[in-house]
Amino acid sequence: MYGATVEPIEDIRTDAEKLAGFEARIARGEKIEPGDWMPDEYRRQLIRMISQHAHSEVVGMLPEGAFITRAPNLRRKLILIAKVQDEAGHGQYLYHAAETLGATREEMLDALLSGKAKYSSIFNYPTLSWADMGAIGWLVDGAAILNQTMLARCSYGPYARAMVRICAEENFHRRQGQDIVITLALGTPEQKAMMQDSINRWWWPTLMMFGPHDTDSSNSAVLIRWGIKTKTNDELRQAFVDQTAPELMALGLTIPDPDLHYDAATEHWHFGEINWDEFWNVVKGNGPCNAERMTARRQAHEDGLWVREAMAAYTEKYQS
Amino acid sequence: MTDTHTRDTQWLRYMVLHQEREDKPHQHAGTVHAPDAEMALLNARDVFVRRPECVSLWVVRADLIFTCTQEELALHPDWIESLQPSGNPVEKYYFFAKLTQKGQFTHIGEVEAQNPTHALKIALQAYPDTHGFAWWVFPVKAVLKSTPDDIAVMFGPAAVKDFRDQANFHALSVLRKLMRKQEVEESHES
Repeated sequence: MYGATVEPIEDIRTDAEKLAGFEARIARGEKIEPGDWMPDEYRRQLIRMISQHAHSEVVGMLPEGAFITRAPNLRRKLILIAKVQDEAGHGQYLYHAAETLGATREEMLDALLSGKAKYSSIFNYPTLSWADMGAIGWLVDGAAILNQTMLARCSYGPYARAMVRICAEENFHRRQGQDIVITLALGTPEQKAMMQDSINRWWWPTLMMFGPHDTDSSNSAVLIRWGIKTKTNDELRQAFVDQTAPELMALGLTIPDPDLHYDAATEHWHFGEINWDEFWNVVKGNGPCNAERMTARRQAHEDGLWVREAMAAYTEKYQS
Repeated sequence: MTDTHTRDTQWLRYMVLHQEREDKPHQHAGTVHAPDAEMALLNARDVFVRRPECVSLWVVRADLIFTCTQEELALHPDWIESLQPSGNPVEKYYFFAKLTQKGQFTHIGEVEAQNPTHALKIALQAYPDTHGFAWWVFPVKAVLKSTPDDIAVMFGPAAVKDFRDQANFHALSVLRKLMRKQEVEESHES
């Protein structure tokens, strides 16, 4: 129970009874709401995931924001602005969901700006051409949608509801990305070459977005047990390759993986091993743009200080 | 790096309630932070009305909402019965419920009561059909609402941004056509 100041209802059950009741609720497919009992570890894992997810949306504005002034025409520019606005909104939805677990927005922003918090490593790669707007929309947002569609069914009510809203909007992001990729892939030889270069750069980092192999993912078991995740990193990654590889190839684009082939026996696309050294290096802060992204975030926050101060001054003046 | 971010203090949290159409009830959308309700309403518009489906927005301070879940009630079945009016003046409260597991908190109705817990008790009796999973009550007077005059100004601009609708992109039909063509070519080759 949060909100208005009234006596909290006392929970007289033992911890073992509470845990059994909680797991039974998840097994029945019920949603856990703020105020319901939950294990500390469930709360901790959710705050970790949701805040990282929120930070990713916020930092995710930067690689595409760089191309707003360089969009090839007004319509593409409007679409890109709308998409970046959506990412800002998604960050807000997610910070809200984390707040229902007791995290404060201030703590979360501090963690991001001080470099303590993690965000999706994909946003530490640079955007070098307009074709990257297509690759990000189709590959990066396409990968995100698979993850988010799963999370829309997660056991924590506020997170699931934020995800339902986000998924609906992300579909526009993927679709506009596909639209750019199709236009360039079927365009002039120069356009097609630009698109191919972009796919070459974004394919592997996108596969890394799903996280380490299940065998190396320390959090996977508990997340699945408590209905936060319902699919593993490797399952989602495979679903992404199965869906995306044949579509890109139908456009005459190649995928930078010599091992990639359709395996009729498993009915899945087999793909090569990910460069995990690169993945961990970027996660640890040594990717091509980690420092640039953090500098931009801090700068934006500092530049907004006068607006926050003005708003606070206005409130003080008119409420007193 | 300077320490400007540590000089901020967190603003109040406002719940945002959003009505898609005149014939639908207000539903919870999320929260925003703002120094006052007026700013909260503007923030709510920016965060939650980027798509063309809104006729009304309400904001209410989150700390004025009394919340209760089915689990909390089930733990103490006699708690709700024991609640007594407090002797405070009677005022109107909004009653919201989460009616399905996956659902969002939805406006059910209003009750008159002397305090939030009393309002919850009366609301659960007044709306016996709303066997929801969690409930909110909050004073009607605590809500700041958009007005009908705001519809064109605040919510109108989203209505013309049709490019936000994925249905306006034809990527899928192009891809399907290309993939069919490829299948035909492959079957000719073999």
